[in-house]
Amino acid sequence: MAEPLQIEVRSLMLSRGGRVLVEDLTLQIPRGQLLVIVGPSGVGKTSLLACLAGLLAAERGSVTYDGRHDASAFRSRLGLVFQHLMLTPNASARTNVLCGRLGQLPWWRTLAGFSQADKARAAEMLAEFELADYAKILVRRLSGGERQRVAIARALIAMPEVVLADEPVSHLDTRLARAVLARLQRETRERGCTVICVLHHEDLAAEFADAVLTLKKDEPAAWTFAEKSS
Amino acid sequence: MSRDHPPRLTAFRVTLVVFALAAIFSLPALRGSGRSLDHGANLARFLDRFWPPDFSVLPQIFPALLETFQMAVLATTFSAAVSLVIAVAAAENISPRPIVLTARFALNVIRSIPSLIWALLAVAAFGANSLAGVIGLSIYSVGYLGKFFSDAFESAETGVAEALRATGADAIQGFQYGIWPHARPLVWSQTLWMLEYNVRSAAIVGYVGAGGIGTWLHTYQEYYQWDKFAAVLVCILAVVLVLDFAGSRIRRQFAQ
Repeated sequence: MAEPLQIEVRSLMLSRGGRVLVEDLTLQIPRGQLLVIVGPSGVGKTSLLACLAGLLAAERGSVTYDGRHDASAFRSRLGLVFQHLMLTPNASARTNVLCGRLGQLPWWRTLAGFSQADKARAAEMLAEFELADYAKILVRRLSGGERQRVAIARALIAMPEVVLADEPVSHLDTRLARAVLARLQRETRERGCTVICVLHHEDLAAEFADAVLTLKKDEPAAWTFAEKSS
Repeated sequence: MSRDHPPRLTAFRVTLVVFALAAIFSLPALRGSGRSLDHGANLARFLDRFWPPDFSVLPQIFPALLETFQMAVLATTFSAAVSLVIAVAAAENISPRPIVLTARFALNVIRSIPSLIWALLAVAAFGANSLAGVIGLSIYSVGYLGKFFSDAFESAETGVAEALRATGADAIQGFQYGIWPHARPLVWSQTLWMLEYNVRSAAIVGYVGAGGIGTWLHTYQEYYQWDKFAAVLVCILAVVLVLDFAGSRIRRQFAQ
């Protein structure tokens, strides 16, 4: 893969309900690395991630993608894992995974469904996340952990340049959580993909992250950004 | 510490009171002819003419019954196809406000005119035949299905479609993979309900010359052949019961 999308944050300010969440954050997201954002609940991790994905407007400052401000031009190059997963409950696990390809295909090519090659790729992804037997099961019949892995597979199927994942292992046991993070880490090592991931487990962050951004409640000045020395 | 009491004036209670007042206000509508009649005996005498139903007319009415069913199937098919498009326009979570308002106004206008009047208009335009019945029923059904379908689309979690669009899917893909899977069981279920409804309606529109079994109902009524009229009613009832049974079983499948 050529150089992945470069995301830069300059003097960013975000607020919610009158409360300032992010203040004067400047950060160059390291390319091809796994950046983990940690911090207590309500500190603004999800808002920051949404802003990086171009889904939340900055109050002040800017987020640029390869030097440009318009996130919509880069949407198909992003893979997103939402905190609330945002899967289609009445569609099968495989269809949900295939939805990750929509951004790269025109509507008329997906109107009658997906190609056999895409379906085979989705089956591979599901197998990778130990969901091979659930391909044709409706997502609403899956457990929280299974749904979460479907959401991760959906984010990865299109081989995005940047993956933004909001608590992607919150419903998983330690073994699966480690497997998923190892898979995300592989994306950075093998494809040079940039992964930005919100995590609650600092031990997992320490184990898998190349860099950690630590947010502290009501103390934007005390935020730290630490790159792991290799 | 003060306790929070639930509000005394809830929307439900207000609606209940308004409805009760409206019912009292409407009581004058119950006035009869003012004449002293033996209502029970009148009804018994009239119903007596229906018994026993004269099923000798079966060979005569069977083709009309089939035509009624065909009219209902075609009207439901056409109306479902048109309604899908109008429902997208009428769904607040999909279309812009001016389009939503225009589509809803059109659906309200269509719904407010009874199917018999639509059939009458179609007979005036296309002549007294089953085509007029299909057109009349189709237009009327669009009023209902358009409303039902748009409600089904609006009940979908739009966050899913937005999530898909956040990674580059366009509006059509967002609808097809984010909203339609949620609405699909409702849409099929309502379409089946409309089919059942249209079979009943198709039996009536024949009264104004729009084809189907209603034509025979009208004829037997005109000539006071109430035993034959009863046979037609029994046939309609049988078809409706079969459809109702099949429909409810299929709907149960959709719900699973």
